[in-house]
Amino acid sequence: MTEAPIMQAVGLTKLYPAVAGRSAGDLTLFRDLDLTIQPGEMVAIVGESGAGKSSLLHLLAALDRPTSGDVHFGDIRLSQLNTRQASEFRNRSVGYVWQFHYLLPEFTAQENVAMPLLARGERRGQAMEKAAKWLNEVGLGGRLDNRSGELSGGEQQRVSLARALVTEPKLLLADEPTGDLDGKTSEAVFTLLQTLHRTHRLTSVLVTHNLEFAARCDRMLRLRDGRLEPEV
Amino acid sequence: MRFELFIAARYLRAKRRQAVIGVITLISVLGVAAGVASLIIALAITNGMRRDLQERLLGSTAHVELMRVAGDGIRQWQPLLERLKATPHVTAAAPGLYGQVLISRGARSGGGLIKGIVPSDERKVSDLLQAIKKGSAASLEPVSCADPCRPDTLAIPPIVIGKDLAESIGASVGDTVLVTSPQGELTPLGLVPRYQRYTVSGIFASGFYQYDSSYAFLRLTDAQRLFSEPDLISVISFKVDDLYHADRIGKEIERSAGPGFQATNWMEQNRELFRALKLEQIVTFIVLALIVCVAALNILIALTMMVMEKTKDIAVMMSFGVTAAQVRRVFLLQGLLISLIGTSVGLIVGYGASWFGGHYRFPLDAAVYSIDYLPFAPKITDALIVAAVSLGVSLIATLYPSSSAAKVLPAEALRYE
Repeated sequence: MTEAPIMQAVGLTKLYPAVAGRSAGDLTLFRDLDLTIQPGEMVAIVGESGAGKSSLLHLLAALDRPTSGDVHFGDIRLSQLNTRQASEFRNRSVGYVWQFHYLLPEFTAQENVAMPLLARGERRGQAMEKAAKWLNEVGLGGRLDNRSGELSGGEQQRVSLARALVTEPKLLLADEPTGDLDGKTSEAVFTLLQTLHRTHRLTSVLVTHNLEFAARCDRMLRLRDGRLEPEV
Repeated sequence: MRFELFIAARYLRAKRRQAVIGVITLISVLGVAAGVASLIIALAITNGMRRDLQERLLGSTAHVELMRVAGDGIRQWQPLLERLKATPHVTAAAPGLYGQVLISRGARSGGGLIKGIVPSDERKVSDLLQAIKKGSAASLEPVSCADPCRPDTLAIPPIVIGKDLAESIGASVGDTVLVTSPQGELTPLGLVPRYQRYTVSGIFASGFYQYDSSYAFLRLTDAQRLFSEPDLISVISFKVDDLYHADRIGKEIERSAGPGFQATNWMEQNRELFRALKLEQIVTFIVLALIVCVAALNILIALTMMVMEKTKDIAVMMSFGVTAAQVRRVFLLQGLLISLIGTSVGLIVGYGASWFGGHYRFPLDAAVYSIDYLPFAPKITDALIVAAVSLGVSLIATLYPSSSAAKVLPAEALRYE
């Protein structure tokens, strides 16, 4: 018996309306796009710059709304969520890693990681404890009190990864997580991501330009001309 | 709310990427503090002035006065006076006979209001006799006569007059003045005004022009003789134990006195004066509250700039599940924290300055202000009102920036980063 998909995008269309004086017509990023993600798999999405990979990830994370179509996450239809429910979905069901670390500079690494838990109302002590555990897991147990400005690019991205996973989400979405790093650091961060994916039995969707990393995923899809095609 | 407070407090403390935001935030705090301190000091002074005025006014006037509705005076007043003294909350009562007169000395004259009194009773309801600056009021005490007192057998009776009245007619202690009553007597030559000479035995200065420029005291018997009304008084004055309930006690006195009497109290008599003082206080409050409004404008600018600076961070927070309402509260709280710090500093400075002013007494020109020091009377209710206004105005100032922060679309904000 086939396991039910953890996430399914059905007939997704995303249009950006024309801006008077700035673009000739509506910009269609993708039309009638379908995507099925099975539990536990690690899927890489590759494509040219501007193909709409990040926009697709935004739709999967309920950070944006499709022009038409829908994304199903278990029983949840993301198009049916109001803004508060969408926030709750992002807080409890998905972890999101951006190309840039986007750590809040006023806070320590531990506070940054604890932030999603504090936002959902967890007690500070408990949230900080979980944050410390996750920072330890990404190899930054000794940098709890450092602010983002005191960390290297690789360390910042690992803190960002810990922040995405501290809520123990079912799905990890990563938008070019190594795009802002040098080769060696990229390798280290991607390896860490793979390890965490395996040890925590995550389901992960990665957008990347790095075909080598994409090839190390369970599945690689290419977004081309608004359609997702399996890449062999 | 703990999460929002955590973020707001940290944002407030953190060094800004744009130094100008920090400067505007500091100006906002100082602005709120200056506004609140100014309000507290100004209100303390107006309260002090009001309190001082009230104390002096209450020293000069009785708390309650009882008179006939018809204005025909009170006859056989002694039993009534004794009966009304026993009214609950009444601590003293004194008879009085008022009458308009012309007081002259040589060619100079002025209108006056004679009050015939029994000094031992009058002292219990009014401090005017204690405000004698020259001479004394001892001569107003009743004289003991071997025979029934007849005016022609007595020396010239005494009169105590107000300072300004004395100056206007050029009289001083020991001088003789002529008091002319319009209530004349019928003679073969027609109606002629009654007049009588009096010796100025004392001059009082209450600090109230109304009294000092027109009041004159005679013995009750002398006044009754002047007005040809033996055994008549026009008013019974009362002192009560709770002056803020003078209206209620006045009603009780009125009821006890029976039909045909009406009671007025010091609040009714001076309503316009206190209304003017209240109006002045309100105007002062509004003018100084503008300082808080300017400070609130700074809060609005600082927060708007901060929201612009933090747009990316807001989007990131939303990406891990912070709701729009939480984002709104972060910036609301930030504005309120600025206001709270400014208000607290302002209250401390305001109350400190009021205490200092009250303790070390800034001198004033008594001839101009009728008081020789600047009175401070800070009230806790003022602090509550000022703090509420300051926080309320600041809260309004935070509405726009916090609402814009809540409208950040994370995907849009981070798309071109």
